[in-house]
Amino acid sequence: MKRLRVAITGLTSCSGCQLALLNCEAELPQLLELVDFRFFPMACSPATLESDYDAALVEGCLSMPHEQELLLSLRKRSRYLVAVGTCAAWGGVAALKNDQDREQLRQQVYGTDSTAALETFSPLPLNAVVQVDATVTGCPPEKEELIGLLTGLLKGSLPTLISYPVCTECRMKETLCLLTERSALCLGPLTLGGCGALCPALGVPCEGCRGPVPEANLAEAMEIYLQKGYAQEAACERLRRFCPGWRA
Amino acid sequence: MSGSRKIDILTRVEGHGTVELLREGGKVTGARLNLFESPRFFEALLVGRRYDEVAEIACRICSICSTAHKVAALQAVEQALKLQVSRQTGLLRELAVQGGQIESHALQIFCLSLPDYLGTSGFSGLAAAFPKELNQGLRLKALGNMIQETVGGRAIHPFNLMLGGVGKVPQAERLRLIHGQLEALHDELAGVVGFVSGLPESLPPVSALPFLAASGGPPLFGDRLTASGGETVMATSAAAWLHERVEPGSNAKVSRFDGKKTFMVGPLARLKLSMPDQTSERATGALLSSSLLARAVELQQALDRAGILISCLLDEGVGQEPPVAATPASGVGTALMEAPRGTLLHSYVFDKGICTAADIITPTAINQAAMEISLQKLILLMNSAGYEEVRSSCERLIRCFDPCISCAVH
Ligand code: SF4
Ligand code: SF4
Repeated sequence: MKRLRVAITGLTSCSGCQLALLNCEAELPQLLELVDFRFFPMACSPATLESDYDAALVEGCLSMPHEQELLLSLRKRSRYLVAVGTCAAWGGVAALKNDQDREQLRQQVYGTDSTAALETFSPLPLNAVVQVDATVTGCPPEKEELIGLLTGLLKGSLPTLISYPVCTECRMKETLCLLTERSALCLGPLTLGGCGALCPALGVPCEGCRGPVPEANLAEAMEIYLQKGYAQEAACERLRRFCPGWRA
Repeated sequence: MSGSRKIDILTRVEGHGTVELLREGGKVTGARLNLFESPRFFEALLVGRRYDEVAEIACRICSICSTAHKVAALQAVEQALKLQVSRQTGLLRELAVQGGQIESHALQIFCLSLPDYLGTSGFSGLAAAFPKELNQGLRLKALGNMIQETVGGRAIHPFNLMLGGVGKVPQAERLRLIHGQLEALHDELAGVVGFVSGLPESLPPVSALPFLAASGGPPLFGDRLTASGGETVMATSAAAWLHERVEPGSNAKVSRFDGKKTFMVGPLARLKLSMPDQTSERATGALLSSSLLARAVELQQALDRAGILISCLLDEGVGQEPPVAATPASGVGTALMEAPRGTLLHSYVFDKGICTAADIITPTAINQAAMEISLQKLILLMNSAGYEEVRSSCERLIRCFDPCISCAVH
């Protein structure tokens, strides 16, 4: 079988989505037989862009012009471009203060008389700039999702975005509901599933790291919060940690 | 021919950086490090957030070091709110940090560094030519992640480590399983250290710089900075002493210390400062390239320490306990610790539970000055070498520091 030629890179990010792939220790040796990591600066040398890739897996959001250039170039060279992780899909934590002036944020950290002239702009998800063929969310995504993504691509298929909330997975696992049983502000009802309700399974409320569920499922979720005495805005505000600018 | 040429992007390191080589008459005459990683302005993002959100957000600075960031941030916030966590929580956090140390060091030694010594392009090359070594590294790395997952709930961005305690306390059964694996890998580690010390020298003899590390606590923890000249700086004055400032050519602030000296942080610095001479002798002389061996020795130490911590937890009887409740208060908290790449500082000010100021100083930011000086030394030593040779040595030299550029810039 022809090996899958992939490019993997991070933009404005923590490298967590790339590390999640490198954390597939058990599967890596076999993956290497099937996948040719042609461009993967974090793990392989040299990092020179080539003419074409079967797929580009891009982590992180966009906040500088050089990233935009790289992204456009990868788009042109790749059959599929996949947004990997919450930053790439929604903006993520880096976009937390997108409602504030970027220059002001810069000055807050670098000072007013700073010598470093930075061409930084408010972080954007990938689909603000290029066509994205598929999205895997999560901060970071689950290892199984990344392996599934690569093995799917080998067969020429793309993953579909999950549309059910984390709550569905809690119910499947018969996990105690933190919202109804403990009145904790758990974002499960509003958040895209796919993690297997990782946090609630350990008794920790979901912080919404996979981004919001499609609009159709929102009304029901809001109803539960109201019943528990939480203002709709309190839950929305929490969810904006990973998906800034989101409105119910 | 004069001018400069940039290495496109440093590879087999975390994040985005480059080295610009200055050339005159066909010779390389100088080198400039440029960390062009995009800043996310974490210190500004955290201002205005509630006390119970700070660590959740701050750990996203970096994935490889997310457990270290999470624990440092939690400690700083708890200090500011005068929150005392249980001994069990302290031991579990320490265990998670050792898990992170194991994962990070195994990744760096086996996947990122080894290709330099064995002449392959990266872990894919290793898989073909040196499957035994790669598999050994992956086994160690997996064990580090198993520890982080068991305690932190997840290897990256460990949500189970919470303000005041942990969400679900790991089961004794699970800890015993890890203990067994630690013991099983223990003997292999002696072999790893031997293997690494037997690798051929990969760099001209660039000497290491004076050392700096956090000390005064259990391994990897502390409340002060200690430098090889004997200086000691308490956590509360550490940020001022590290003296970060913005300089052209880097998106990460550069530490200029007291203005006169330059220090390096990381495995070699920790070994030299924290261990009796005899033991640290094992980490060869005073060359920068012995950083790799120092990392291997630390890997062994981390396995040992994790084993001790688990024994402690099991002896004292691990059990579920709710996190200590926090109330929104005002105060200042500063935590120092040793992340895999060196000294890490998190400092926060709270006003009635709302963060009003944040200061985060990371190992790779601190190491920038040391990296620059080391590059200059290398160029001098490689006086007659051609561009390609210098270029590849510069990359190797930077890898000795195992830079984490997301951390540096944050
Ligand atoms: S989605 Fe999360 S893990 Fe991935 S790059 Fe962004 S912050 Fe890191
Ligand atoms: S439960 Fe929520 S916060 Fe936890 S991993 Fe899943 S989506 Fe993320």
